[in-house]
Order: sequence, then structure tokens, then C-alpha cells
Amino acid sequence: MSTTATTNRISPATTAGSSLATSSKFKTFATIFSISGPLVYCLTVYLNWPVFTYWPATGRLAWGFGAASTSDGPNMTWYGWTLTTILISAGLGLMAMMLPERMMRKLPLALVWILPILAIPFVIYSLMFWWRLAFRLG
Amino acid sequence: MNGLISSNAFWTIWLFIHLILAVGLLGALTHQAMAVALPARKAAGGIMTRYRAVPAAGYATAVCVLWVLTFLVGSYIYTSYRINIRIPLEQGHYFKTGGFFDFKEHVATLGLVLLPAYWFFWKNPQNPEYDNARKGVTLVLAVMCWFLFIVGHVLNNTRGFGA
Repeated sequence: MSTTATTNRISPATTAGSSLATSSKFKTFATIFSISGPLVYCLTVYLNWPVFTYWPATGRLAWGFGAASTSDGPNMTWYGWTLTTILISAGLGLMAMMLPERMMRKLPLALVWILPILAIPFVIYSLMFWWRLAFRLG
Repeated sequence: MNGLISSNAFWTIWLFIHLILAVGLLGALTHQAMAVALPARKAAGGIMTRYRAVPAAGYATAVCVLWVLTFLVGSYIYTSYRINIRIPLEQGHYFKTGGFFDFKEHVATLGLVLLPAYWFFWKNPQNPEYDNARKGVTLVLAVMCWFLFIVGHVLNNTRGFGA
């Protein structure tokens, strides 16, 4: 027994009532945020631009980058990198919303999934200190 | 904490919550990825056909919410990991394990920034303009999610629950 209905698609009615889903402004914001996000993250990690640094041993927070120290223990910059990425990408998304819509139509949407794949080799390279230690001492 | 439960139990509970959220996310994203990669033409059939025949668009908001919640809980646990897990890993020369955890944190953020476009593409399933981008971003997120889950699982086996 079988039916011929294709069930992995959804009717347009599902999106009814969702103003964000039908907004061209939101489309611009979302695509620019997601396209720029991986690039901004790689740049943020490369330049080491965390909005803040956290020292989990003492609970200390400080703006910008702060090094590990004997008094505060190890530092954590990943939260700061993530926040930097979100803020810059959101800013770019908001700025893109002011551009004419025809400009945004020229942007290939495939960049949304291609750029995070391209970011992976950089991310692996950025962790070279781990791989070197594993090669020498592991 | 605060005398009610031990610190060990406290972090183990949070790790368990992280696991439950991750399992939900993994299930939803895998269903969706199968539905876009190998769309089923018929609703009925074998278990694999039924697995692929889910109404995939209905998962989009749940995937976004679960990704953010899993991310937030993982971020909270990370503070304990940095002190209580990573330092012993380094002392034990588990450098590949430590490296893969850092790789995992980067992948989690890369996935997080994809969510707005992912959500938008899935909320407009009737628009063929978004078909390829929707498929691509869903598959990328699903692969990321499996990677995050497996690395987390291996790390937990190295020094996780009760450590």
C-alpha cells in the first residue's frame, strides 16, 4: 500500500503568518549574515579579536584580548571571537539591508554553504600548535 | 553546588542536558539531510523510505532552537572543561583529543552563523530559487552536527562523565 504524495515538501500555507519568512529585507540580512559569518570568524581568529576574554579559574572578564597569567590561570577567547563574529556579521547584514534589492539578487546563494567548507582548512591550520605537539610528543 | 549536590554531579547533569539536546538536533538534522539528499517519492515503503519522507521543512525552527540551546549549554560546560578536562588532557599528552575539541568549538560557531539563512531557505520551500542553497546548507549543517557529536562523544570517553 502506498500513496503518491510527496511528503518532504511543505505547502506555502505553512509559512503563512511568518512575516520574517516573507520579508525581502530579512532575506538580505540572513544571507549576508550567513555568508559573511565564516569569513569574519576566520579573520577574527587570525587577528585574535575577541570582544572579551574570560578567565574561568577566577571568573574574571576583560574587554579585548587578555593573556593567560599565573594569577588568573588559563584564558578563554572563543566566547569573544564568537561575539565579535556575530556583531560584525549582524552589522554587515544590517548595512546590506540598505542596499538596493537588485544588487543582492546578483549574490550567489551557494556561498552560504561553500564558504563554511572553505573555512575548514583554515580552522585546521589555526590549530597547528595542537597537531605539532601531537606529532612531537603524543 | 551550594551544598545540594556535588560539583561533579552538577557538571554531569549539565553534560547530560547537552547530550540530550545534541541527540535531538542530530536526529532532526539527519532526517532533513536525508529528505533533501534522497527525497522520497512515496510516503509509504520501507523504513529508509519513511525516514526520508518526513515533512522536512517542519524541522527548521526546531533545528535552529536546538542548535542555539546546545551551543549555549556547551559554552557553559566549556568553562569547566578548560580547567578540569583540558589541563589533564595536556598533561597526559592527549594532544589530538585536545586539538579536535578546539576544532569542534570552531565548527560549532561556523554552524551557528549559518542558521539565519538556513531558517529563511526552509521557510520558503515553495521558492525554487532557494532549492540548491537549502540543500547545500542543510547537508553542511548535518555533517557539522555529526562531527560535533562524534568528537564530543570521544572526548567524553576520554575524560567526561564523572571525571
